[in-house]
Parts: sequence; C-alpha cells; structure tokens
Amino acid sequence: MAPKKELKLAYYIAGILLFVGAMSYAAFPVKVPDQPRRIMFESIAGKVFFDHKTHSAEAGYGLSCIECHHELEEGETDPQPQRCGDCHEADSGDEDMPKKSDAFHKQCTGCHEEFNAGPLNEKCNSCHVLL
Amino acid sequence: MVDQRKFIVSHAPFWHSGKNVAQRSYGIIIAALPAVLAGIYYFGMPALGVISLSVSFSILWELAFNYVAKRPNTIGDGNAALIGLLFGMLLPATAPFWFVITGTFVAVVIGKQIYGGIGSNPFNPALVAVAILMLSWKKYFDFDGMLINYDFDFTPFYPLVALKAFGTSAIESISILDLLLGRQVGGIGATFGLGLIVGGLYLIYKGYIRWEIPLSFVAGVFLTSQIFNLAGADRFAGPAFHIFTGYTLIGAFFLATEDSSSPVNVIPMLLYGLGAGILTVLIRNIGMFPDGVVFAILIMNLVNPLLDKIRPKAIGKVV
Repeated sequence: MAPKKELKLAYYIAGILLFVGAMSYAAFPVKVPDQPRRIMFESIAGKVFFDHKTHSAEAGYGLSCIECHHELEEGETDPQPQRCGDCHEADSGDEDMPKKSDAFHKQCTGCHEEFNAGPLNEKCNSCHVLL
Repeated sequence: MVDQRKFIVSHAPFWHSGKNVAQRSYGIIIAALPAVLAGIYYFGMPALGVISLSVSFSILWELAFNYVAKRPNTIGDGNAALIGLLFGMLLPATAPFWFVITGTFVAVVIGKQIYGGIGSNPFNPALVAVAILMLSWKKYFDFDGMLINYDFDFTPFYPLVALKAFGTSAIESISILDLLLGRQVGGIGATFGLGLIVGGLYLIYKGYIRWEIPLSFVAGVFLTSQIFNLAGADRFAGPAFHIFTGYTLIGAFFLATEDSSSPVNVIPMLLYGLGAGILTVLIRNIGMFPDGVVFAILIMNLVNPLLDKIRPKAIGKVV
C-alpha cells in the first residue's frame, strides 16, 4: 500500500469510527431497567451483590414485593416502590428505624434462615466481596 | 581524541514477515476482530461505541501529537488504531466516553509518543493506559458494578472477583465451554476465548508474532495455577479456569507480544512469557488485584532489555 493510501485509510477509519462511536453513545445509552436485575450494595466491609431478578421472578424464588418492600399494602404492586435507603439511613439516630446495615442483615439472613436457602453461615465473606 | 569511545554496532535478530508496518497493524486488527465482534454481540451497542471511540481517538491523539511536536504524520502506519482497539477490548462495555478519551490519550501520548513513537516504547501502550486508569478510577474496571444492568443468560458475575472473594465453590456454575464461547462477564474483547485463540494462531501463522511468547505465557499460567490448585483446591482454581478467564488469552496473544516491549531472542522470549504467566497467577491468587495480567506484562516489559542480553556471542568482535 502506498503511504498516501495508508494515510487516507487512517483518516477514513478515524472519521467513520468517530461518527459511529458518537452515535452509539448518543442513541444507545446503557438502559436502566424498570426493575433492577442486580443491585450492588456498597459497604465499608466490601460490596454485596443482590440478585433482585432471581429473588422476585416467578421462575426464580417468586418472592412478592411486600416481603422486602414492607411499606406496600398486601397484594399491592407499585411499579416504583420505595428504595430501602430512603428510610433506612447509613447511620440512624432514630431508635425505631433500624439503620441500613442492620435492616439488610436482618432481612437477608432472616429470610435465608427461614427458607434454609442461600448463604447461611455467619461468615462475612459468604455475601461481602472482601478483596 | 585518541581514546574516543565508539559505538559498538551489533546485529539484532530481526524478523521480517514480508509485510510493511501498516499491513502488520491491520493484520493484527483483523485477527482481533472475532473477539471484538463477539463482545459487541454479547454486550450490545454500548460496546460498539466504546471500541469505535477508542480506535478513532487513538488516531486523533497521534495526529494531534504529531502536529504539536512537528513530527511527520505517522497515523498511516495503523499502530495508533491497533493500540486503540486493544485498549477498547480491555474496557467494560459501559465505560463512559470521557474515560475512553482519557485512556487513549494516556496510551498513545504517554505510552508511546513521548518515548519517540512506534518501536521506541518500553511498555505496551494499551497496558500503560489500563494500569494508570485502573489505579485512578478503580470502579470503572469493576466489571460487576459496570455491567450491573445487563440481563445475561449466563453467570452474571466477573469470575475472577467471585473466585477471589468466595473461593472455588462460587465458580462451579461456570463451565469451560461458556468461557471459551465468550459467555462470561469481562472486557469487551477479552471474553471470547475461542476467537482470541483463533486470532492468535492466525498471527503466528502469518509471522506477525512469535509462538514462543504466547506459549510460554500460557505455560506459566498453567504451571503456577496447577501448583496453587494442588495446595488448596477450595481457594485456588485450576489451570483451565485461569487460562480462559480474565485477560489471560488477550494478554498472551495480543498484549505480551507487542514488538518493541518484548524480547527478540528465543530464550529471552520463553523466559519473558513464562515470567508474565507466573506473575499473572501470583497476583491473582495472593496479590490484591482480581486480575494480574496487566501488571504482570508491564513488569516483564521492564525486565525485557535485561532478558535480551541473553544471546549468542558474536564470532569475532564487531566494531
């Protein structure tokens, strides 16, 4: 290939891919689904991944929304239920409102023990990604 | 002036594949395409955006640097495009655009051009960028967090993090076939093992890379992970897992073989690959990073000039 042709090719590649790249970023942003698939809870003891889809789907564990989103009425399915962190704050001074980590620990381990499923033992690294 | 030191000129074992620099660059890009296309298939249009922007901005940064430094325009040799492609292949599909633009700047300008351009870089430019960005913005290389909104029909977590955090029981659900077919979480172009192997063999066949480096790299990974696995099978995964996940295959065929940062003599090439493979597993198993390929190859890049001193002595003195 002659140097002039090589240069032309490089300009074409740069131009076309710049257009394709800009279009891909503009027209196809990463979709955030209405119902979360997986949720990453970040904590000082390493992040914890929660598979929301498998827990909520009929084909999965089939939990109803109210099992965790306890502010809902029985049978009610709000497409936008309150997020856990809206009430359960990281460091709660309110005695009636469990802080976020207590709420999660109680919710996760309580349910796992009840159904004798999922991570059961009390080792932190059964759930927390400690790297 | 009598004892003025003279340059000692000796002959390096140059290899010629019969192609010029541009043909070689585009040849390697073609070899990488199966893995890239698989990445775009699994991760969708955002992956195409990352790869396109990465290639395009690498060329543009090189063009800009050539202009500012008043050097001849070198984008025609295709090396900038190749660096951009390899850098994009290592990123998660959801990397933000500014991250790609910053990364390509680091790769092309800091990784290559400030050393004098093609052939003068002591480190693999794409890996310099990944290392600097990984240390600066760790969360953008957290594949689990970055791909959290994807609905995968395969195991939806990054195998190396799962292994490190939860032990081998966590990766039992991942089959080697899945890893080979690209059905795993990871970098856009680093997941499709079969494609990377086929691309790598094509490169060896065409003479673009030498077989010594990838083979000894994989051998290093195999041996070290086998020893760890025998010492503790509940904590350390076996060789097949380590070879087919993370950056191992893209590292062996496309990153460690970068020409100016890898040795040219046979024994040094074998030692270089072996060292990178061993370090990869050491960093994965007892280091702090889930994947060790990036730092393992960079460390071996550093050792490369020393390794290349192991060479046959010239008969007579060449002056």
